[in-house]
Amino acid sequence: MDDQVYPPEADTRLLLAAALREVRPSDRVLEIGTGSGEIAHALQASAALVVATDISPHAALAAKRRGVAVIRTDLFAGICGAFDLVVFNPPYLPTSPDDRIDDWLEYALDGGPDGRAVIERFIEEIGRVLAPHGRILLLVSSLTGIDEVREAFSRQGYVSFAVAGERIEGETLVVLRAIRDLCAR
Amino acid sequence: MRRKLLDIICCPVCKGDLVLQVTEEDEEEILSGSLLCNACRVTYEISEGIPNLLPRTASED
Repeated sequence: MDDQVYPPEADTRLLLAAALREVRPSDRVLEIGTGSGEIAHALQASAALVVATDISPHAALAAKRRGVAVIRTDLFAGICGAFDLVVFNPPYLPTSPDDRIDDWLEYALDGGPDGRAVIERFIEEIGRVLAPHGRILLLVSSLTGIDEVREAFSRQGYVSFAVAGERIEGETLVVLRAIRDLCAR
Repeated sequence: MRRKLLDIICCPVCKGDLVLQVTEEDEEEILSGSLLCNACRVTYEISEGIPNLLPRTASED
């Protein structure tokens, strides 16, 4: 595979397993930052529609070659319409400006100084493309601050809880499931 | 991209509708062409079956 494309790793597998448990046959699914297309490809047989995005031309091409309906854009900037399930394995590693390597793979990894730069932007804006009863599956790491991400969801009117977790070398990976807090309205 | 994807894509800047122009298409999908946002006066390319909807403005052309 193209070395500018994030290959399926432990985080991919954890999120994929959670997504396969979550997906329903009638779902319209959006995967953001699909990378190699591993998750979107695997969900295609289980959902009504699966669409994926990636900002990287290398990733978009890799996913496309696996038969994924992929759109090259920033998060979901060029996407409209309501999705029942949104799946995102975001760049979550805290990265200082000195650590930056400035290539396409960096978009898959670099979460800004606290690891949450992209995640917080995602949480602020995702309501635009999420169906009223839509569900979000977001992978986060203990390096990112799991409680802080849950607080960010809460501030934007979502309830979230962990539906999967795995301890790997030096960090704990968690899949958060978030839905709109309909009681809070 | 398959034609039905037109329903779920929009201008990445103003979120308005895009006007499709096809250059090359096979039985399954559009291989190359363009997507025009009339409001922003920006054209987004489709190549190798992938629409490129990275946000940009007319001044970047």
